[in-house]
Amino acid sequence: MRKYRYLFDQLVRRELKQKYKGTFVGVLWYLVNPLVLMGVYGVMLGTLLHVETVHDYLVFILSGLLVWLFFSQGLSASCSSLVDQAGLIGKVAFPRATVPAATVVVQLIPMLTILVVLIPLSAILQGTSLLPLLALPALLICLFAFTLGFALVVSSMNAHFRDVQPIVTAALLPWFFVSGVLFNLDHLASSDDHGARRTLEEVLRWGDPIAPFVTAFRDVIYGGAWPSLAVFVYVIVAAGASLAIGATMFRRLSAELAVVI
Amino acid sequence: MVGRTAAAGRELVNGEIVLDDAWRSFSPRGDRGRTLKEVVAAIGKGRAAELPPTPALAGVTLRVGPGETLGIVGRNGAGKTSTLRVLAGIIPLHRGFAQCGGRVAALIDLGSGFGREFSGRENIHLTAALHGMERRDVEARIPSIVEFSELGHFIDTPIKTYSSGMLVRLGFAVAAHLDADVLLIDEVLAVGDEAFQRKCVRHIRSRIAGGTTIVLVSHAPGTIEAVCSRTVVLDAGAVAFDGPTAEGLNYYHRLLGVEDQEQAAARQASDAPVWIRQAELLDADGRPRQVFSPGEPMQVVAEFETRADAPDIELVVDVRDSNSHSLFQVTRGLPTSCGGGRLVIDIPRLTLLDGDYEVPLGIHAPGDTAPGIDRMLRFSIAGAGGADGVVDLRGEWSFDGAALGASEAR
Repeated sequence: MRKYRYLFDQLVRRELKQKYKGTFVGVLWYLVNPLVLMGVYGVMLGTLLHVETVHDYLVFILSGLLVWLFFSQGLSASCSSLVDQAGLIGKVAFPRATVPAATVVVQLIPMLTILVVLIPLSAILQGTSLLPLLALPALLICLFAFTLGFALVVSSMNAHFRDVQPIVTAALLPWFFVSGVLFNLDHLASSDDHGARRTLEEVLRWGDPIAPFVTAFRDVIYGGAWPSLAVFVYVIVAAGASLAIGATMFRRLSAELAVVI
Repeated sequence: MVGRTAAAGRELVNGEIVLDDAWRSFSPRGDRGRTLKEVVAAIGKGRAAELPPTPALAGVTLRVGPGETLGIVGRNGAGKTSTLRVLAGIIPLHRGFAQCGGRVAALIDLGSGFGREFSGRENIHLTAALHGMERRDVEARIPSIVEFSELGHFIDTPIKTYSSGMLVRLGFAVAAHLDADVLLIDEVLAVGDEAFQRKCVRHIRSRIAGGTTIVLVSHAPGTIEAVCSRTVVLDAGAVAFDGPTAEGLNYYHRLLGVEDQEQAAARQASDAPVWIRQAELLDADGRPRQVFSPGEPMQVVAEFETRADAPDIELVVDVRDSNSHSLFQVTRGLPTSCGGGRLVIDIPRLTLLDGDYEVPLGIHAPGDTAPGIDRMLRFSIAGAGGADGVVDLRGEWSFDGAALGASEAR
């Protein structure tokens, strides 16, 4: 596996070149999409409709949006990755998992670029403690592993069943709206509410595997607080489980890759 | 992959190839384009009657030692490319065992390249990386790869602008520098101009001298003859012949002949007035042979039968090169009243150079402008050192050092 480090490097470069045309301006282009999303939702939901009333709503959105973008972009980019690289797979035997993994690694570039802008912005506007940022590397590793696990599943599934890609795209949109990127899950139900709204809040908080990642990143960047132990454990377990399931499924589905694509 | 090492019983030496009772079949629809929607629909209807899979490899067993050069020939669909792809580790077996010892480099379908938007240089990096090479090694080799490919400044232009010949040159140049213990080559030498083909063959020969194991799949017996000492003939996914190349190619030519014989039998059944019962190429000793040296004698022998009421008939004998260009054609009237006979065309000296040739025999009525082919004989020429081309026009060379001095004095 070690000897394929250079291959991995090559695949990442190639993906970068295709995505960003190899320029820094190209990377900046990638920021336009999240910034526009942040602006639109911020103005619509915060300023005009007053749906969400947290302070510095734009920073609130962006601190969750970066988790969502990493996950969703990683998923949709990796989905077609194996089919796109059919030429490589049909001609040479090499570790196939390097292909979807490279597409996920590339997502680190917009993620880190947003972080560079967001962290000082949040510190200035919120005046929050910077100490909890020490948890960020661990959270990033967990988010990467979590996304990679999903990427391994959808990419190998899509090689066998070509309609996986549109299904994934279709599923990501509603998932975004329930993931808690745009609103504070705490505000769904008031503290004395024990009915259906409370249940919904708990389901959204713990039933959606990406929600604890959003919470954890937001706690650290926006709130300046350490994530709760429950969230931290959840994130680690979810990352491990996703990667284990992804690797197992990929091993099974990738044997016949050269035949099916 | 389970049980691989168990089946080998030991670790393979670098350059060794083991293929043990290899089975592999493919679904006739190619498994392509299946969708989850179809799968869900199929569950609703119960299992749809699927076409049975076509076997590509049906129990192939092969042992190749380090430094051996193996040619694989066979008709279309005999399992040649599947064998190569299994050895390269691209396709898993359904049953049996396949393994190559050491580093394996596969030259399969070079003509398409990897990333059409990327330059030749970027593709060199990727191809080398795909074979597990490190950056340092790749960078050290780039100059000689570029030189071997003869691409010059085109190396920095996107490969979508390349011709198919340029793509093959690039692909072969990279593969030539991979330092593989096993080199698997599929039919790629057929593309590219003749000068580059000769360069590739020269390179392969130098690799053979360096101890690399070579497996070459080709439709062109001439290339196999030039490179391989041992030849395997695959037929219907199984090894039909395994032995020295000269015998292997003879076997292969006979195999192709059988196909033509079946056609001839069909013609006989269709009440043709004249039919060729048997036809073959014989050497000086009267033995059937398919590989000749330049300058050797060859006999074309055809036995034919005629019906009593057969009209006047002519036999057309053609000699063609591998591109089906006619090199020589002769038409003879056949006596039809005798009920048949044996026709011998004696060629005292084959003035042809290395390559593959075919000899179609056709029977037709006089004046027929588009005669069919009743029997196809094939032969190869090998062993013409020092000359390239089709026709052997080698004469005697003489050199007179005094001639120039004489002309200057004038």
